[in-house]
Amino acid sequence: MKLNDALLGLVFLALSIAVLVTIQGYPKIPGQSIGPGAFPGLIALLLGGCSLALIWRGWQERRAQPLVALGAWLASPRHLLNFCLTVVLLLFYVLASETIGFLICGTIILLVLFFSLRVKPSLAIVLALFVPLVIHLIFYKLLRVPLPWGVLPVLW
Amino acid sequence: MLHAYAQAFALVFDPYVLTVILCSALFGLFVGCIPGLTATMATALLVPITFFMPPVPAVAAIVTATAMAIFSGDIPGALLRIPGTPASAAYTDEAYAMTKKGQAEIALGAGLVFSAIGGLFGTAVMMTSAPALAEIALQFSDFEYFWMVVLGLAGAVFIGNSSVLKASISLLLGLLVACIGLDNPAGHPRFTFGNAELTGGVSLIPMMVGMFAVSEILRYMVHMEPPLKLATEHIGNVFKGMWRLLKKYPWPLVRGSVLGTIIGIQPGSGADMAAWMSYAMAKKFSKEPEKFGTGHVEGIVEAGAANNSALAGAWIPALVFGIPGDSITAIAIGVLYLKGMNPGPTLFINNPQNIYAIFLVFVLANLIMLPLGWLTIKLAKNVLRLSRDILMPTILLFCIVGSFAINNTVFGVALILVFGLLAFVLEENGFPVAPAILGVVLGQMMEENFIKSMIKSDGDPSLFFTRPIAMGLAISTFIILLWPVFGWAWRKLRTA
Amino acid sequence: MKTIFKVAALIAALVAGSAQAQYPNRPVQLIVPWGAGGGTDATARIIGALLEKELKQPFNVVNRTGGSGVVGHDAIARAPADGYTLGLITVEIAMMHHVGLTALKPTDYTPIGLMNADPSGINVRTDAPYKSVKDLLTAIKANPGKFKASGTGQGGIWHLAIAGLLKDQGIDPGALPWVPSQGAAPGLQDLVSGGVEVVPCSIPEARAMIDAGKVRPLAIMDANPPALYPKLPTLKAELGTDWQIAAWRVIAAPKGIPADVQKTLGAALKKVYDSSEYKEFMAKQGYGTVWADSDGAAKFMAAADANLGAALKAVGLAK
Repeated sequence: MKLNDALLGLVFLALSIAVLVTIQGYPKIPGQSIGPGAFPGLIALLLGGCSLALIWRGWQERRAQPLVALGAWLASPRHLLNFCLTVVLLLFYVLASETIGFLICGTIILLVLFFSLRVKPSLAIVLALFVPLVIHLIFYKLLRVPLPWGVLPVLW
Repeated sequence: MLHAYAQAFALVFDPYVLTVILCSALFGLFVGCIPGLTATMATALLVPITFFMPPVPAVAAIVTATAMAIFSGDIPGALLRIPGTPASAAYTDEAYAMTKKGQAEIALGAGLVFSAIGGLFGTAVMMTSAPALAEIALQFSDFEYFWMVVLGLAGAVFIGNSSVLKASISLLLGLLVACIGLDNPAGHPRFTFGNAELTGGVSLIPMMVGMFAVSEILRYMVHMEPPLKLATEHIGNVFKGMWRLLKKYPWPLVRGSVLGTIIGIQPGSGADMAAWMSYAMAKKFSKEPEKFGTGHVEGIVEAGAANNSALAGAWIPALVFGIPGDSITAIAIGVLYLKGMNPGPTLFINNPQNIYAIFLVFVLANLIMLPLGWLTIKLAKNVLRLSRDILMPTILLFCIVGSFAINNTVFGVALILVFGLLAFVLEENGFPVAPAILGVVLGQMMEENFIKSMIKSDGDPSLFFTRPIAMGLAISTFIILLWPVFGWAWRKLRTA
Repeated sequence: MKTIFKVAALIAALVAGSAQAQYPNRPVQLIVPWGAGGGTDATARIIGALLEKELKQPFNVVNRTGGSGVVGHDAIARAPADGYTLGLITVEIAMMHHVGLTALKPTDYTPIGLMNADPSGINVRTDAPYKSVKDLLTAIKANPGKFKASGTGQGGIWHLAIAGLLKDQGIDPGALPWVPSQGAAPGLQDLVSGGVEVVPCSIPEARAMIDAGKVRPLAIMDANPPALYPKLPTLKAELGTDWQIAAWRVIAAPKGIPADVQKTLGAALKKVYDSSEYKEFMAKQGYGTVWADSDGAAKFMAAADANLGAALKAVGLAK
């Protein structure tokens, strides 16, 4: 998905303006001549300047560079689905892992992605069951990372 | 002194100590390979185990594990474009470009051999002049640190092959991300939207995992071409051709080792910063800077040497004054106290055999890195033979666990998603992501040192230029920044 | 198929059996709001290791860092109150809410036991001309704004320690501007390089520099001299003031854990505190040890909260 530089420049310009507006509310710190707003403000100004240059460049090349050039994958349902699934599965992990646990979440993520990438079903199922177990064992026991058990009982 | 070294030899070449070194080496190699797990984390995990060890093996475990972790972070970077540790992120694109050209063995071999040489260099410096260097490091103040950070940032913009404007924007985005949270000199929460997790700011690791690994996975999900045919069968002897490289690039090796050691000695900056700065420097001084980013080994030679020499450098102020050079030595100092080896000049005078034993461990760790690293590369290259359809989802799961482990919260997982999507869009549009990572590495240091300097000088900025070392660093910064302008003016004058 | 059933039955029996067992029957998390390598982390790791020995379940130390402690303290308070998540809360919990950084107060936790307190020292460079706190304070008073101090972030415990002392001695806290730093180590380095003149911080933090002959402690803000340097005078002896301040650490659980769990933990923690391993560890690192049980720790924190709040207001750090 390729956007014209001018379009991206506008996005960054909006970001730098938003930062500049936000820092107006920051307090002065007694004993410090430079408040907490100065550094982000300076960066936002520089970013704003760069955005203007980017907009200018995009505008000059508006003939050669279309406003939005959709990647070929956006037209292919299969690739679009793969992309969205990855995003959704990460979101799913963030929301659900505490409740249902790492092992179940991990198995679901792998199973869905393997199927979506058309891995041989038998292999997909074996790996989706096996890989999260191994990861959990290594991280939980060896590296002492408190991966959540969720609905499963504590096995080790 | 010779007698003390003989005692130190006896302390180190003891079956128990050697076993500890071997085990922690394997542990370090494993931790470094996994995106999200860092050398610092390897150290923190070793601490409870070292409770039960005598002093020398306790320190040996930490030294060995961190040296291995910093090297093995190169492996996933070169093979999959997913750096294992932030110190490898500087040259990940370069190493991956080499892999695509079928030169994976040169990229990995250079990382391995020159990491070991850099580590040995840093060790030699530590052995010969630790107390004197630590005294000098203590003279550095915020004014000097400020210029060092600016120097690092100036180099970043020129790292890759993309347009300077887009690299600058990427760097500025990184600097803005570094502003998020409460950990700024004013202690005022910025851009947190009232969220407790955001008061902690955006940690570097989830951001890096998101921008490199998750964006790579997203790119794989949408790629339309048949999978890249990687020339894996070529990964034969990783040591082949290293002698040639050594003869071809002696200066980058020396520069990287020296710069790495210096940066390591400075409190608060470690292997990450050393790798970034020396990679930028390699490009600056190279005879063929146009080849950088296309799979050119020169930068890997210099940066690989730099990040391992920084590890040794960081121990210098830690041993002499108990001041940590990086986050790893911060933990190690605690272990030293626990073992009755209290840091300080007396450590070098009373019972010197202990400190010599630590030196020997450094030498040993960098030497066994060669065979063990070779073995790891041999095993790791099989990863390339696996079908990517199986590999990519599995890596995604590792990314989730790694980013969770940094602060043990799913907030890290949310961050990899956000930064994965951001990096995906940026890269599609020709923005390099590496400068954004560097912005986060250095942003906080830059602001802090600037504000501290201004408080100390009662708001008078002239001290940034009048202190001797600060002035020297300021001049170098301006030369680097204005070099392209000079070159342009020179060409103009000649043609006119 | 039969074997699968047998295994399933076995697992079910195990699960059911362990569910009825006494607390703790699974690993416990010990959240530390500060990073690996610091004093709080080290203290938590030794307490965790000893509790593990006492209660026969793993006590995993989990670092939740960032936001000057806000993130970790928040995570401890919001964890399920079942005794399987504990935390090591620090003096900042009695300071941050006065400054408006969080709504959390000491009363949002169930304290299990007070484990340690490190009073603040006052350190100068070895070659500094002042021989006593009195000399130093006179010099600060005579040259307001000339000297700088460092050792923690803006509004941190050591900042408050020195600002409160100045206020107590009738000197404007603004006479000694504060240079924020990431902790005592960079502050001490700044002291040696000549960037600042005073670093108030705990004795174990300054120990390596003191022993290296780079830094000289002038006094301690405590009732008694520290064990490491028994000749170091107290503020009371030097100035006759009662100004005292210390960084302390309390093992705490989220509010509302079951009473029997609290009792089990309290008893185990007391044993840990009394163990020779804990005493030896803390003495080696130079950390001070203090004990108070659940009620005692709650009273201790309430008093500290009131004192620190008043001090923060007096020196103008609280809003």
